[in-house]
Amino acid sequence: MFKRQGRRWIVLAVLTAVFVILLFQMGWWEAALRTIFSRDDVLYPTASLIALVGEHMKLVALSSGLTVLIGVPLGIWVTRRSGQSFLPIVTDLTSLGQTFPPVAVLALAVPLFGFGLVPTVIALFLYGLLPVVRNTVAGLASVSRETLEVAYGMGMGRLQALMLVELPLAVRVILAGVRISVIINVGTAMIGAVIGAGGLGSPIIAGLVQFNTAYVIEGALPAAVIAILLDRFLGNIEKSLAFSPGERNG
Amino acid sequence: MIRLENVTRLFDNVAAVDGFSLEVDQGEVCVLIGPSGCGKTTTLRLINRLVEPTSGTILVNGRDVSRTKAEVLRRSIGYAIQSVGLFPHMTVGANIGVVPGLLGWGKERISARVNELLELVGLEPRQYAPKYVSQLSGGEAQRVGVARALAADPPILLMDEPFGAVDPLTRQRLQVQFLRIQRKLKKTIILVTHDLDEAIRLADRIAVMQSGRLVQHDSPERILASPANKFVHDFVGVDRALKRLSRISVEEFIRPTPSVTTSATREELSAAIGGHRSVWVVDGDGRPIGWIDRASLRDPGQLNDITVRADPAEMYVTGSDTLHGALSRMLGLGFKSLPAVDDNGRLIGEITLGDIEKATARGENMDHV
Ligand SMILES: Nc1ncnc2c1ncn2[C@@H]1O[C@H](COP(=O)(O)OP(=O)(O)O)[C@@H](O)[C@H]1O
Ligand SMILES: [Mg+2]
Repeated sequence: MFKRQGRRWIVLAVLTAVFVILLFQMGWWEAALRTIFSRDDVLYPTASLIALVGEHMKLVALSSGLTVLIGVPLGIWVTRRSGQSFLPIVTDLTSLGQTFPPVAVLALAVPLFGFGLVPTVIALFLYGLLPVVRNTVAGLASVSRETLEVAYGMGMGRLQALMLVELPLAVRVILAGVRISVIINVGTAMIGAVIGAGGLGSPIIAGLVQFNTAYVIEGALPAAVIAILLDRFLGNIEKSLAFSPGERNG
Repeated sequence: MIRLENVTRLFDNVAAVDGFSLEVDQGEVCVLIGPSGCGKTTTLRLINRLVEPTSGTILVNGRDVSRTKAEVLRRSIGYAIQSVGLFPHMTVGANIGVVPGLLGWGKERISARVNELLELVGLEPRQYAPKYVSQLSGGEAQRVGVARALAADPPILLMDEPFGAVDPLTRQRLQVQFLRIQRKLKKTIILVTHDLDEAIRLADRIAVMQSGRLVQHDSPERILASPANKFVHDFVGVDRALKRLSRISVEEFIRPTPSVTTSATREELSAAIGGHRSVWVVDGDGRPIGWIDRASLRDPGQLNDITVRADPAEMYVTGSDTLHGALSRMLGLGFKSLPAVDDNGRLIGEITLGDIEKATARGENMDHV
């Protein structure tokens, strides 16, 4: 059963390594883009590709980390007795967070937090909160009443039932929410460039302003690859947590 | 050991359990039975405090359960329920180890205990401990459920339709095993079922419930022989005499019987058949393979040729079968007697329709006791 698992991780590691090596080969990028667009200024001049990716990943990591750190406990809390009455309002607010355009959040956040990293992370955090909270609630709700009754009937306390039964049974659904949230964030983090938080949005905006499609590709292509790699990474974690033997054996 | 004193539990002003009193002795199997919705499950859950009584007192070992912390109380009471009870994200071993884990046992001790219990319920530990619940058959899952309830060796077991979700044949096997284990462990057990046959087989005493009330609490024999009222009478049904047979093991009705092998001589055959209508034929190891009718004695052929062959597994009974099982097999096959075999499948005697009839008649007389 570990053979299959191992292969998934090896494939991912190789793909990631190839991607990182490519990021450092600015010469290759330049050559490739030049043949496609037949012009000289094909690389965003202000920052190297690896630096842009670094900034982008920082935005994604900070906002997604915050989303998980706050979203999961929030989802747990509103399914507990003490927080149950807050379930509707939390669901509404997180929905609002996602339906409210991130650009608008940025516009509102700038006067409060200034330019740069902080408002961007806040906007991304709010935007990504819904899938995490929603899936945490759904995952916990999917644990049947009978199963819980048995847990209590065997002498588990509330915390023990949560840690030993509810969360393990809900973890795949929760992780699926995290995955959606992270992938959304990779795309949405582009807006950080608008208020000077950098990232892969910078060459895209520059490209749009200067009608230079090569810049746009330089920003969009790595972002797409990052999204795919992260999706695989989180997907692998999800699969390795599968408890049902059928799925585990593949 | 367990005592409910005038316990009432209301749900939305309707009594699920209504002025219920019951006493279960140490080492006794008390079967709670009654139609669906009569309050059986609620009664069990009152004992381990998954439900709190609206009024009344519940004592375990003379101590009011409401004075013990719910979690502590529950860890000292085994709890097994139908089908959904096992945790799907844990292996069989981990499932059984839950309560010992809650009690803070060490790893070694837990795994030794898991092996011991799997063996007790007849599942090979090395094969079954690492399995997930979805890899088990219904019968295996129920056995694991029982093993898990026994994990921390609690003196009391509460079992809510523990053999509910399996086919009749598997259920019968589980019941036989339950009785074997109970003879060894002598737990105090309250078992809920809506299957009267199950109640009759397993119970030392049966408590019949109706709309949250106790209507009769008595031995299976007494319940069958003298139902307390029309409700119990209707509940036990018209085939009471037949049901009584499932309380009686074939063991004491097995009578010695002659047998021959296919290599026997004609003289040996005549001697064996004596005044009987037929004689059992066994193979070299003494396992029944068929019979020879008296009518065939005139046939000059080989013994091998005049033997009527039958699938032994379909016709034999063992000591752990009940008269009820033996009778239904006889009727099914159209036989007047069945071979009885030991654990190795060797012929040890036979059981006859006449003997079962006598046993039935003996039971009928009990009606007038
Ligand atoms: N938690 C509950 N809330 C409301 N009603 C309940 C609850 N538990 C049981 N009941 C009601 O109590 C009655 C007895 O239920 P139960 O003890 O489960 O019956 P049984 O196990 O004999 O089928 C039923 O009418 C049922 O609807
Ligand atoms: Mg019930």
